[in-house]
Amino acid sequence: MTEPFLSIRYLRKTFGSFVAVHDVTIDIPKGEFLTFLGPSGSGKSTTLYAVAGFQQPTSGEVLLEGRSLLSVPSHKRNIGMVFQRYTLFQHLTVAENVAFPLRVRRRPDAEVNRKVAEMLSLVRLESFGGRYPGALSGGQQQRVALARALAYDPPILLMDEPLSALDKKLREEIQAEIRRIHRETGVTILYVTHDQDEALHLSDRIALFRDGRIEQIGTGEDLYLRPASEFVASFIGNSNFLPAEHLETVNGSATIRLADGSVVSGVRIDQDFSHGQKTRLMVRPEAFRLRPGPATAGLAVEFIDTAFFGERRRVIARTAAGQEIDVRPTSDMAQAHEGIASSRQIFFDPAAAFLFPA
Amino acid sequence: MSGNLLHRQPILRRPDGVGGALPALTLITLFFVVPVVALLLRSVTEPVPGLQNYAILFGDGTYARVFFNTFLVATVVTAVTVIVAFPVAWMLAIMPPALGSIVFGIIILSMWTNLLTRTYAWMVLLQRTGVINRTLMDIGLISEPLPLINNLTGVTIGMVYIMLPFMILPLVGTLRAIDPMTLRAAALCGASPFNAFRRILLPLSLPGIAAGGLMVFVMSLGYFVTPTLLGGTSNMMLAAMIAQMIQSLLNWGLGSAAAFILLLVTMALYALQLRLVGAKRMTGGI
Repeated sequence: MTEPFLSIRYLRKTFGSFVAVHDVTIDIPKGEFLTFLGPSGSGKSTTLYAVAGFQQPTSGEVLLEGRSLLSVPSHKRNIGMVFQRYTLFQHLTVAENVAFPLRVRRRPDAEVNRKVAEMLSLVRLESFGGRYPGALSGGQQQRVALARALAYDPPILLMDEPLSALDKKLREEIQAEIRRIHRETGVTILYVTHDQDEALHLSDRIALFRDGRIEQIGTGEDLYLRPASEFVASFIGNSNFLPAEHLETVNGSATIRLADGSVVSGVRIDQDFSHGQKTRLMVRPEAFRLRPGPATAGLAVEFIDTAFFGERRRVIARTAAGQEIDVRPTSDMAQAHEGIASSRQIFFDPAAAFLFPA
Repeated sequence: MSGNLLHRQPILRRPDGVGGALPALTLITLFFVVPVVALLLRSVTEPVPGLQNYAILFGDGTYARVFFNTFLVATVVTAVTVIVAFPVAWMLAIMPPALGSIVFGIIILSMWTNLLTRTYAWMVLLQRTGVINRTLMDIGLISEPLPLINNLTGVTIGMVYIMLPFMILPLVGTLRAIDPMTLRAAALCGASPFNAFRRILLPLSLPGIAAGGLMVFVMSLGYFVTPTLLGGTSNMMLAAMIAQMIQSLLNWGLGSAAAFILLLVTMALYALQLRLVGAKRMTGGI
């Protein structure tokens, strides 16, 4: 087996009796864009800081091309990093900021100048070299920080919630920039965020953190379409959880009874349930249809309210058992609007629903 | 009725112009401008009109030595104060606030303790048979007492101790404004701790060092008590010389001229500080 480019092995970090990171193990191939996603305090930043060298892990290993990074101090790790807050050197111009990592490496002037020009053009700030960071907007400052982090061609770029201080529009703009820069430079990126949209939009793979462990790692589609747990299902995308009772499982296909008494079969499951076990059925809002299809299950609901969101319409519906659910039918938008305050059936594919223990 | 109200308005306005400032102006004129002018006049009229007092001060080697010594002490004190204050200020800036306020309290408390008391305390510590020399001899590190008092060493130690708070306070303000993440960023850029200090932390804290340094330097130039008690006769400072000229020699003219020179130097340095602070404002606190 070939050695992975960057390997985090059984990483553990405790603060007193609190375990911040619990034996996290990840292999990252060269050139991958991997995002650590999770709520605050889930250990994603602590893991990143162990790679950066800001925090010495309690145990475990961080290997870059097979060599341990842990005994290497931060300034010799040769890693680029963009921070949450603006960390540009305020007393230096934009060009001097980008040149800084090259200057401390004592690169010749000609190379420094060439590289600074190249980096400023990469982040599209060619004409800003002579300005001071204080004269730039937040978005521009983060782009300079990106240029500075990439100036010495680091094999790994770490990004710790770099867009959290920016407003929504700017965030989307810089996300596009980051994608482009990842494509153009091929640098391996470890990206930390608590924003699922950002993670889905940017990453090749997502590692979803919860309480210091990786709950699931995979592509955005993996996490969205095949969530390993209720936590993953509720963290990525929107979801409805319907209380259900497990009746039987045949060949990985379960039959359940919902709270309103209706029986649904053909639910795909990955784990074992006993007869009569309390479970929760997860159905994505957009998995609901207003018309029956082949092999769909029906659910009796009443539409309470609808709201128009441009590309789709959101419906709040109430099940016969009295639970409010979120329905976002991809088609039949006009129908959804007309159906207000009427009792009706909506439909979903049981094979696209997931069953989790209650 | 409405006319009456309109009439009252000027009275309600904030007092501005010369009128409102008159009491303060009178006070400053009476107790500051007049004495300074009198000082200047004395320096050019006593014992006879002319600039001979200044000629003596600038021409005589003895006085030149005192001037030189004054600037030497002020420079050494300022330099040592910066070196000692920087780590303390940095520690205060990054400390947890609860602990920081305790340390801050200790520093302020030392400032509030009587100056003479503190200087005498240093005399007790530094003299030939003092605590420091005794201890060093007892543990066998030295066989002869170190000359710690009545020389430049004594003056420097005593004055640095007194000046430290004036350096630490502005420096803490500047250092607190620096995001520690900036230093982590510098480290990941490849800067060794020394490089990060020299290229990032030091330049960013320069406004604080300049403000505190000028304050310490200016205060040191005119210091009297500490240099008199801890210094030797061979390194007399300007303030002590002025006192001697006026008290012992009753040479008011020469004393006034020396005092006036000291005032001019102080004001020049203060102007420099104002310019630095002004420049700082223009670049947005950098």
